[in-house]
Amino acid sequence: MNKITVKPTINNRLYSLSIYPNQTLLQLLRDEIGLTGTKCGCEIGECGACTVLLDGEPVNACLVLAPQVDGKKILTVEGLADHGTLSAIQESFLDHDAAHCGFCTPGMLMSAKALLDENKSPDEKEVRTAISGNLCRCTGYVQIVEAIEDCAKVKK
Amino acid sequence: MNQFEYIAATSIEQVVEVMSEYGTYASILAGGTDLLISLRRLNGNGPKVVVDISRIKSLQGISLENGTVNLFPLATHTSVAHSKVIHQQAVLLSSAASVIGSPQIRNRGTVGGNIMNAAACADTVPPLVALDASVTLQSKTGNRQLPLSDLFIEPYRTNAKPDEVLTKIQFSALPQKAKSSFIKLGRRNALAISRLSVAAIICQDAKGIIVDARIVPGATFPTWHRVREAEQLLVGEQPSRKLFESAGKKVSEMMIAQIGRRWSTEYKEPVIAVLVRRALEQCIDNPIGLRGSAS
Repeated sequence: MNKITVKPTINNRLYSLSIYPNQTLLQLLRDEIGLTGTKCGCEIGECGACTVLLDGEPVNACLVLAPQVDGKKILTVEGLADHGTLSAIQESFLDHDAAHCGFCTPGMLMSAKALLDENKSPDEKEVRTAISGNLCRCTGYVQIVEAIEDCAKVKK
Repeated sequence: MNQFEYIAATSIEQVVEVMSEYGTYASILAGGTDLLISLRRLNGNGPKVVVDISRIKSLQGISLENGTVNLFPLATHTSVAHSKVIHQQAVLLSSAASVIGSPQIRNRGTVGGNIMNAAACADTVPPLVALDASVTLQSKTGNRQLPLSDLFIEPYRTNAKPDEVLTKIQFSALPQKAKSSFIKLGRRNALAISRLSVAAIICQDAKGIIVDARIVPGATFPTWHRVREAEQLLVGEQPSRKLFESAGKKVSEMMIAQIGRRWSTEYKEPVIAVLVRRALEQCIDNPIGLRGSAS
């Protein structure tokens, strides 16, 4: 199998990567460039632990074939903070103790970020819909939902 | 995942060329939400070639032309759910697209993939069959157009030849007076696979008499089709709970007549009848359709 070159922009940095076509975006992020903040959970698009933003939209990185990201913009949880300063949504998760074991947190943050980028004042239903593709097996949904709602209020 | 050659196709002609050369040894990649899962499962027995069609412009978009809706196969479920054209002309399809999988799945999964994967639980298919949609398949020898309901042989099997590529889905916009609904019954709200679903369309005249009715259940029959026997009970009548109940019962009877009694029949027999009744009631009560779960 021949390697191919893809040039995605990941967290505002342009990469040129030589990859095997049967790799997923999740493998590319974790194994090729060491961005292990994006978690590998079910690998069938059910749990949302691998959620990243692809051209601004939340997607399951486990269901994107790596060659498909050539020329695309990807934002991972590592791209949320700005030079060591946490983003508002990350601060809000901290304030609300919205992480229990923490495994779902990167994916939750990315779904929350996508929602708040599009909708400055979501109601609870919209927040719950936005994170409906992210499972928290600690079942800490209440704090997560409050963190997202509160972040929207503070931003306003 | 096994090894394969990856081809980023730039035109339909190129896809058709590759498919005619490799046939069943090639798989088409659009949104990847079904294909990537099967590529992992098929470890060792997967395709030799994966043809990525996701960048082909002529397979993208949704448009309305002279009363015909052109829905191109790469339209994602998110774009279908948000499309003004679909919302105005076929709201039951918006409803169905908005309850597929999760936001992440809807951002990648496409209506073309939903059709060609042909899973019994495919949520966009019952509305499209109710809309009497047709599909265009392209191969090296040309195009053929057929009713969507004729495309399916059984779950996960279509009669598209290995070298044929889905290039367009079309249906006539519903009459302004038509009311439609889609109900999905899953084990939970998000990321649920439809256990049963119902797409329904009702047209009434000025006096409220039903002049056209269409009922297409999903995950109920081996393939999708309008249940004409139930539809006929409605035409010429005034809507009533009793009438809708009888249509629901008829669908239930037809299900058993066609697939026999199975382990799941005890559950499905009463439930599909109720879902049909509710779908019809929602057509009448709520002219802009419904969102999501059965209540």
